[in-house]
Amino acid sequence: MAKTYDCLFKLLLIGDSGVGKTSILFRFSEDAFNISFISTIGIDFKIRTIDLDGKKVKLQIWDTAGQERFRTITTAYYRGSMGIMLVYDVTNEKSFENIKNWIRNIEENASADVEKMILGNKCDLDDKRQVSKERGEQLAIDYQIKFVETSAKDSLNVEYAFYTLARDIKAKMEKKQEASNPPGARSGAHVLRASDQQRKPPSWLSRCSLL
Amino acid sequence: MCVIRLRTGWCTARGEPLSAAEREAVAAVVRRAEQLDELEARRVGRLVARLEGMRRSAQGPAPRACLLCGETSRLLAPLRTCSICRNSACPKCVIDTPPHRSPIYSREQYMCNLCAETREMWKKSGAWFYKSLPKYILPERKVTGRYNDTELARSLQVRQEAGNSSNECKTDSEPGSPLSIHAPSFSRQPSNTDSRKSISSQDVHHEWSETDILTHGVSGLSLHRTESITQRSIAGLKRTGSKGSAYSLRSIRKEVPKPQPEKPTIPDSGFGTLEIKLAYDNATSSLAVTVLRARGLIGMDMTGLSDPFCRLEILPREGTYSNRLRTKTVHKTKNPEFNETVHFFGITESDLAAKSLEIVLFDDDRYGCDEMGSATVSLRDCAKAPTQLRLALSGASGNEPTGPRVLLALCYNTKKRALVVTICRAAELPPQDSNGYSDPFVKLHLDPDPYHKKHKTSIKWRNLNPVWNEEFLFETRPTELSRQNLTLTFWDKDYGKPNDFLGSLVLGASSKGRRLKHWMDCIKFPDHRHEQWHALTDTQHL
Ligand SMILES: Nc1nc2c(ncn2[C@@H]2O[C@H](COP(=O)(O)OP(=O)(O)OP(=O)(O)O)[C@@H](O)[C@H]2O)c(=O)[nH]1
Ligand SMILES: [Mg+2]
Ligand SMILES: [Zn+2]
Ligand SMILES: [Zn+2]
Repeated sequence: MAKTYDCLFKLLLIGDSGVGKTSILFRFSEDAFNISFISTIGIDFKIRTIDLDGKKVKLQIWDTAGQERFRTITTAYYRGSMGIMLVYDVTNEKSFENIKNWIRNIEENASADVEKMILGNKCDLDDKRQVSKERGEQLAIDYQIKFVETSAKDSLNVEYAFYTLARDIKAKMEKKQEASNPPGARSGAHVLRASDQQRKPPSWLSRCSLL
Repeated sequence: MCVIRLRTGWCTARGEPLSAAEREAVAAVVRRAEQLDELEARRVGRLVARLEGMRRSAQGPAPRACLLCGETSRLLAPLRTCSICRNSACPKCVIDTPPHRSPIYSREQYMCNLCAETREMWKKSGAWFYKSLPKYILPERKVTGRYNDTELARSLQVRQEAGNSSNECKTDSEPGSPLSIHAPSFSRQPSNTDSRKSISSQDVHHEWSETDILTHGVSGLSLHRTESITQRSIAGLKRTGSKGSAYSLRSIRKEVPKPQPEKPTIPDSGFGTLEIKLAYDNATSSLAVTVLRARGLIGMDMTGLSDPFCRLEILPREGTYSNRLRTKTVHKTKNPEFNETVHFFGITESDLAAKSLEIVLFDDDRYGCDEMGSATVSLRDCAKAPTQLRLALSGASGNEPTGPRVLLALCYNTKKRALVVTICRAAELPPQDSNGYSDPFVKLHLDPDPYHKKHKTSIKWRNLNPVWNEEFLFETRPTELSRQNLTLTFWDKDYGKPNDFLGSLVLGASSKGRRLKHWMDCIKFPDHRHEQWHALTDTQHL
């Protein structure tokens, strides 16, 4: 019998090739690390069930190939994702600059409700560092996205990152539910417009334009 | 292959196409994901079933009695009013809603178990994110041997005759404990038979006033296993659209096939099985595929039946040349006898070693053919001798529609007693004007509609991907809704000459597949917005 869970959250890892997406996921799902680099073909996913405030949340985490030639395949997975990790490599300036492009990609392809987080990976390699932590933080502030530096190798902040993203999704879920059906109103989606109706009933009945 | 590299290293053109090995690797991941999706669809199905079970066993609103268990008001346990549905329920059947979350409503802090459970379901199923219930598979009591059509017809008849006893919809769960977990107990054969039955027995709910049904949904309208939005497959690997373009050489066999000795049973994942025969002829380099029959397909229309046909293709494809064939459609059945042979030509022996045959079953419908399941077999097996195979179909991939399409939200508003239709947006509409654009607007009406209400959106000038977000109300009752159809027609505004037709869509009781599911979800879960993309058809059925 399959393990039961309360919710399924779909997450996605994106970022340039070689920044360590697969390694981060490997650390999170298997608690292991591999020094050799096997570039991901297309897509892959891993499962881990975590506990959030007493609820069992199953995470299906999609790992995408950073290589451009798989882009058609990987962008198909943006749409259903509830949370996206944007990963760059602190020892690779270009991967950091490309975060902007990845964000644009999200805006074009993902749901507007998607939660995001930026990860600066390989922070264990301080001697090879090209991107300071401050620059990462500044970028995150510019885009209003949470940020943390990670190391898949040293198992630094990997758990924290996934738990934070999952918690943010859960918080959004609770908020949406409150908003869509608050106590005291049958249907929250119409609460505001119901007052419109009192102001001008005839036009409401014939048509109500939201914009 | 031209790859333009910008200074940032960000490419604007796609790289080389994937190799066969790469495609196979991706396909393996997709298959693994499909298994997971199915597990998830079953979990969501259990949530849906549990809620339906609660609804059916609820007593229904009555003055001074609990909506759920029927207990009457007592001095020490006065009835509470649910802040969502406004019905009365006893203290055992309500929960306190945390007042700090919504201080405005702090005077009413109770929610009945039914409303609470509906909210839970909305969260747990992911519907809060996808904006409609994702794909679900209702739990099924294990039966030995599936219904065949005659059995089905007979059972429908019996149920309809018996349709006047009001106990019909009641479950065997004890009414005294509405929150008791009786999910599995009520779910006898939840598919086709159930939906038909509940339609016929709707009028039977004498003891439930109209508002009851309005508030807690029409109990028991259940459509089995259809798809909706979930995140899904790869555009490049799985193709939608079913009008096969390849020519087909058909020889329809008329002789009745003799029953085959059963092959070792393949686990049927709930989407039915398909029997085929493969015969390779190396003299003509042709592969003959005989599609014999399918069994236990999922139901797509209101009566739980389907109009299946098969699309066959040899994969991986070479270049852009598509080698797709299709069978004829067998109407109104879940157990079609196809007995049709199609031929693929130009298949070499090395192809047999490397390629596979993909068979996708579709439900034939003029408003868009929905996928009902698919199977893939390696051609390796049939290289030496003809083989007959029985394949388990795996679930429909639930792809989002492509081409001209509309994003539509339905919500049955119990307070207004109206169906609220939101035309959110459309995409990839066909250009009808010489400037390469259209000036689209949408006309919509409900049929039959005693109020004869006709609505129109505004015109979006020069726009093939218009965003409207316009909302329309149709006064109706849920019991009516399960007999009505909503028709949308898309037009290009032209002055001085008739408007050009751009496409149409019909959702409702007589629609099928994902269109029917959208409609039913809206009836079953009132006061929730159900948002979904639908493909438009280019035919005008008015
Ligand atoms: N020192 C160090 N090396 C790391 C870390 N994370 C990943 N690596 C190494 O970086 C290389 C690339 O890692 P992958 O996880 O395969 O990269 P990827 O982002 O999945 O790449 P694509 O699949 O091509 O998109 C491997 O050799 C890893 O061992 C880290 O935190 N620290
Ligand atoms: Mg990788
Ligand atoms: Zn009660
Ligand atoms: Zn209630």
